[in-house]
Amino acid sequence: MSENPQNPENPQNPQSPENPRNPRGPQNSEDPQNSQNEREPQRSESEREPEGLGKPQGAPGPQSAGKPESVGEPARGGTAGEHEAPSDSVHDTTADHDVRVPVPPVAPAAEPSGRRRLASALWPPRVTRAQLVVALLLFVLGLGLAIQVSSTSDNSALRGARQEDLVRILDELDDRTQRLEDEKSRLEKQRTELESSSDQAEEARKQTQEKEQQLGILAGTVAAEGPGITLTVGDPSGAVESDMLLDAIQELRAAGAEAIQVNGVRVVADSYFTGSGDDMRIDGTKVAAPYVFKVIGKPEDLEPALNIPGGVVQTLEKEQATATVERSAKIIVDALRPAKRPDYAQSSSQ
Amino acid sequence: MIAVLGLIVGVVVGLLVRPEVPAVVEPYLPIAVVAALDAVFGGLRAMLDGIFVDKVFVVSFLSNVVVAALIVFLGDKLGVGAQLSTGVVVVLGIRIFSNAAAIRRHVFRA
Repeated sequence: MSENPQNPENPQNPQSPENPRNPRGPQNSEDPQNSQNEREPQRSESEREPEGLGKPQGAPGPQSAGKPESVGEPARGGTAGEHEAPSDSVHDTTADHDVRVPVPPVAPAAEPSGRRRLASALWPPRVTRAQLVVALLLFVLGLGLAIQVSSTSDNSALRGARQEDLVRILDELDDRTQRLEDEKSRLEKQRTELESSSDQAEEARKQTQEKEQQLGILAGTVAAEGPGITLTVGDPSGAVESDMLLDAIQELRAAGAEAIQVNGVRVVADSYFTGSGDDMRIDGTKVAAPYVFKVIGKPEDLEPALNIPGGVVQTLEKEQATATVERSAKIIVDALRPAKRPDYAQSSSQ
Repeated sequence: MIAVLGLIVGVVVGLLVRPEVPAVVEPYLPIAVVAALDAVFGGLRAMLDGIFVDKVFVVSFLSNVVVAALIVFLGDKLGVGAQLSTGVVVVLGIRIFSNAAAIRRHVFRA
């Protein structure tokens, strides 16, 4: 630390902070020297030769010992030291900052001028070289500041992260990717299984549906259509009996009839015929002449089956009834029977 | 006054234009900004002290920026870039604080 020229002349100087009771003593003795320093040498120093400023800064050493405000002052020796040139005057202000009011005679020249200088620098605006140069530099500073701020706030999360954090984040992402890949493959496998099994289920369902339709036609629970014949039995004399109709049904079945209805009553496996003449009943439902048989089957088989000698048609005509057989490409059997659920019988398959 | 206007215009232009920072300059910009701030505070204090010289301000501003960028560059080359940047920021921050304290004493007398 270079010796301040003041210090040898001011042995009391270090005492001043420690001895607040008589701050005037050292200050008064100090001020004249400071005023001398301030007036001439310092100005010229600061303008001409920044190097010289290093010397007066030796002063803070003893002074700063007792003053918290001067903590940062040792840093003044740094790069921009030129502008801390008035270290002496600053130290004076720090030294007498406790005794602000009884400012020594020199102080008014420097002290109140701070605020006034600021005000006069701000207003009125003067276009000088200094102002323009400083404005240019401050423009650059503002530009850099704004760019930095906006670029920092852009993607804040990762930009400021340290390298270890980034590595950790990357690891976590890798783990996560791995887990998700595993889950994906697992789900894909599951989907494949479900697809194949649902294919099987779909196939089974279709087959079941088909079978249901076939059985429904046999059981009379669904309507049916297809080629076949219409047998009309007229009974003007009331001679037709139930067994004749039953014979006709048997003959048709033997010839391959698949679905039969008589006057709106579906004839199935357990159908029965009762009565005769005016009181003819099929499955308990009363039917009256003429009896119209709608039969689905192969017409080429059904018609001859009825017309064979000694067959149904001849038998009926012998009893003074009329019987006509008519082929048709499309017979609709739409009389339905309710589906019955068997109470005791159960399927023994499966 | 014109200087203050220059600062404001700079901030506004920077926010509006949002120029892309070249990747080469990017690591040095924050440190350079802090160094420039330090120079500005020093200049403000000098102005309040009545010893402001524009030439000195320009030189100190530029040299501050250059030296700060140089330190960061050197730190990057030596592998201690982060630590050195922190050190530079701490030192400049202390200087800014001390300058601000001096300015405060001038302006508020407290």
